[in-house]
Amino acid sequence: MSLLDVRDLRVSYGSPDGDVHAVDGVSLSIDAGEFVGLAGESGCGKTTMAMAIPQLLPRNARISSGSVLFDGVDLSGLDEQAMRAYRWKDISVVFQGALNALNPVQSVGSQIAEPIRVHDSSVSSAQADDRMRELLEAVGIPSRRAHDYPHQFSGGMRQRVMIAMALACRPRLVIADEPITALDVMTQAQIIDLLQGLSERYNLAMLLISHDLSVLAQTCDRVAVMYAGKMAETGPSQDVFGESNGQAKARHPYTQRLLRAYPNIHRERVFIDGIPGSPPDLSRPQQGCRFEPRCDVAMGHCASIEPELITLESRHLAACHLLENDRSGVQS
Amino acid sequence: MPPLLRRFLVLCASIFAILTFNFFLFHIIPGDPIRLIARSQRLSPEQVAKLREAYGLDGSIFTQYWTYLKNLAHGDLGYSFALHENVADVVGRALLNTLILLTVSTTVVVLLGIVIGVFAGSRHGSKSDSATVVTSLVFWSLPTFWVGMLLVFIFGVWFGGLPISGITTPNAEYQNYFQYIADIARHLILPTLTLALVDIAFFVIITRTSLIEVMSEDYMLTARGKGLSRRTMVWKHATRNALLPVVTASVLYISALVAGAIQVEVVFSWPGMGLLTYNSVLARDYPTLEACFLIISVAVLVANFVADLVYRRLDPRVAVA
Amino acid sequence: MTFELSANEEATAVPASGFLAMLRSIWADRLGRIGLILLLLTAVVALLGPLVFPFNPADVGVDSSTILQPPSSAHWLGTDELGRDVFREFLAGARISLFVGIMATLISTIIGAGIGIAAGYFMGPLDTALMSATDFFLVIPALPLMIAMGAIFGQNLLIIILVIGLLSWPRTARIIRSQTLSLRQRQYVSRAKSLGASDARIIRRNVAPHVMQLIVANTILVVAGCILAEATLSFIGLGDPDRISWGSMLHFAFVSGAVGLGAWWYFLPPGLGILVVVLGFTLVGHSFERIANPRLKGH
Repeated sequence: MSLLDVRDLRVSYGSPDGDVHAVDGVSLSIDAGEFVGLAGESGCGKTTMAMAIPQLLPRNARISSGSVLFDGVDLSGLDEQAMRAYRWKDISVVFQGALNALNPVQSVGSQIAEPIRVHDSSVSSAQADDRMRELLEAVGIPSRRAHDYPHQFSGGMRQRVMIAMALACRPRLVIADEPITALDVMTQAQIIDLLQGLSERYNLAMLLISHDLSVLAQTCDRVAVMYAGKMAETGPSQDVFGESNGQAKARHPYTQRLLRAYPNIHRERVFIDGIPGSPPDLSRPQQGCRFEPRCDVAMGHCASIEPELITLESRHLAACHLLENDRSGVQS
Repeated sequence: MPPLLRRFLVLCASIFAILTFNFFLFHIIPGDPIRLIARSQRLSPEQVAKLREAYGLDGSIFTQYWTYLKNLAHGDLGYSFALHENVADVVGRALLNTLILLTVSTTVVVLLGIVIGVFAGSRHGSKSDSATVVTSLVFWSLPTFWVGMLLVFIFGVWFGGLPISGITTPNAEYQNYFQYIADIARHLILPTLTLALVDIAFFVIITRTSLIEVMSEDYMLTARGKGLSRRTMVWKHATRNALLPVVTASVLYISALVAGAIQVEVVFSWPGMGLLTYNSVLARDYPTLEACFLIISVAVLVANFVADLVYRRLDPRVAVA
Repeated sequence: MTFELSANEEATAVPASGFLAMLRSIWADRLGRIGLILLLLTAVVALLGPLVFPFNPADVGVDSSTILQPPSSAHWLGTDELGRDVFREFLAGARISLFVGIMATLISTIIGAGIGIAAGYFMGPLDTALMSATDFFLVIPALPLMIAMGAIFGQNLLIIILVIGLLSWPRTARIIRSQTLSLRQRQYVSRAKSLGASDARIIRRNVAPHVMQLIVANTILVVAGCILAEATLSFIGLGDPDRISWGSMLHFAFVSGAVGLGAWWYFLPPGLGILVVVLGFTLVGHSFERIANPRLKGH
């Protein structure tokens, strides 16, 4: 059984102009210890999807249907109090923008140690303190800085603090929402290495959300690509983002265009092959495939019939009418 | 220069500015300050001559100013002909009484105001929140002295039981110190209640607004994500952050606090600086009035400085030294 | 050579229709509506009251049996310590209370806005100097200073208006200054300067209209404060002895012992009057602030 099994999740935000269906029937599963990436443009619903798992959505958002099964328990049906037991202990989050996500008037060490004793009252404060220092060292911060405040750290170090904090209760799943977006490239590489190392060391399952495909390709076992609230393509990362014979192995037109949009620093071509148009308005989604308006290989019925996820190879699925004939008999 | 030292120097400069302003207001603008005093107190020519000398009025403005500063340095605040005492002695007693009143009432006002403000802010959008805001706006619109008059009426005329004037019961005899303190405490009830009814509203509104802003910050989502209970989130994480703007705003409150204290002391005949100011206006006792204004202003400046220190303690992002 | 900034850059002054629209939004807001009603009530009382029920201060009672009498059919709110009709006195007092409050606010706003705009627009040493003075006056406790000035300069209406007005401008100045500063940084100001526009013109056409809303919101709240200040000063005994205001009514009620004698008809109405008008301005002011600045969180 998977550790996390999100089935046909629909999340919508209420707004004065009508409900925005940010996540519209998305399924995703993560096994214990697996490193999964979630990719897509801004506004495609990946953050909503991620925040729906620990039920950390804002007040105006609702899960209208679907289930979030964690260890077999449907989290979407739990009330706030029941959810608290899962938060941080089983599922923790590394938020984007660590400066704002950390409490400015509380020392870093105390913020990391705090959830330890909240979730396990048998732990003494001395023990919590020790574990906190261990965690700081594990993320590469000297433990003597435990008494410092968030503003005294650089951006990269604050992100490390967030990661240490996320590991405090030894969770089984860590959701990292754009953890490196605000950092420079060198620091990004360090943080990614750190996340990978920690995932292996502590056998953590990790859901890494990013719009940076190269990072996902490098680190994740499996990736899922979302577009306009729906799942476009998902599979082992070498199948979705990899190449064979100079050709991308991605099958969905959107993924293919996304990959093409990345300039290759080794090749001559300098101009960015972006995707024309812009993502659709999710309060009024169109009937058929949502990518159809921007797709250059769309067929007649793409605009009226929604494509289902088709299994292509083992665990490689994509939602596109073009792939009907490639459907494999392999169940995944 | 360390920020704390700089702030202290600003305090000293401000005090000096107030001293000068005070001198200007009471000695220069009226033209001849002696004439003012002599006219209202009916002094003999010898007394007038001695005053002239004491004020250094025979010399230039600078000589007068220098004399003024010299006297202040010695703690000489002049002589009150209306009260037949050194102003310094009168002010000393009054100051102590005012401090007693202010300590008790400010503690009540600040603590209750912040607690109610946090309650209302954490229930933003609910009926109790709206009710709290409206009630606060109504109470903040009340004239403090009028609330005092109402309480005097209710407790002095209708119900009785609570002392409505003075700091102690006249001609009371105490068997021990405790009884003395208890008597003062009973006399403190109505003045404190008056100040509280009006001033708590200030802190409720400020704290509520601050808390609502803090609750929408990202680190509150982190706190929620950590599985902390709502109570911990609000009282431990949010409140610590929400208090910072409240401390800043309390600097504005000091002026209102002083105004309120003056009114309360007049209505309840509490023998403090406020009542002294009031009486010295009635009696045209200029030396005392001048001293009252000076002491109150300096006290406010010092209070501002202390509030600034408190802020630096609370916010780790601001350097202390 | 004349120049015109392009249409979408030039700030328009707040048009008259904007004022009506603002009034409508305040009316739509529940608290704002209550405030407007209270103010309307006060206006009616102050403007019409003394016309319909004129008060004659010399109309004292004939003997001691007429002083501090409870309400009766002859005197709807009873009599004061001189045997005069409290109801008529109350109506007369409304005018002075409002007049002083509004006049003092005008002075305070003109000075405060002037200093705020100058400091925020010209910046540099002028800003530093003005702000030091402003901070100094912000810190001096207002009431003791008003008392001192009243005692030294005497007690007449003009002095009281000046004293109150002169001690309320610092807050206005600070608010206007920060708004002006942020406006100043915007591009169209530097563009206008490079095109040769004079400072006065820029202030008039680009800065002032945007700041206007803020000034109005602040002014409404300042009126409330000034009315309270007048009431307090009059209560202390520094009011104009020739005029009746609600504050002075309360002063005489207090010193004549009316409170201790339980003459509630004498001291309740003026206090309620002050409450109603101050609350009215406060509610409207907060409502205006909320509407004009929807980004303001926490409301």
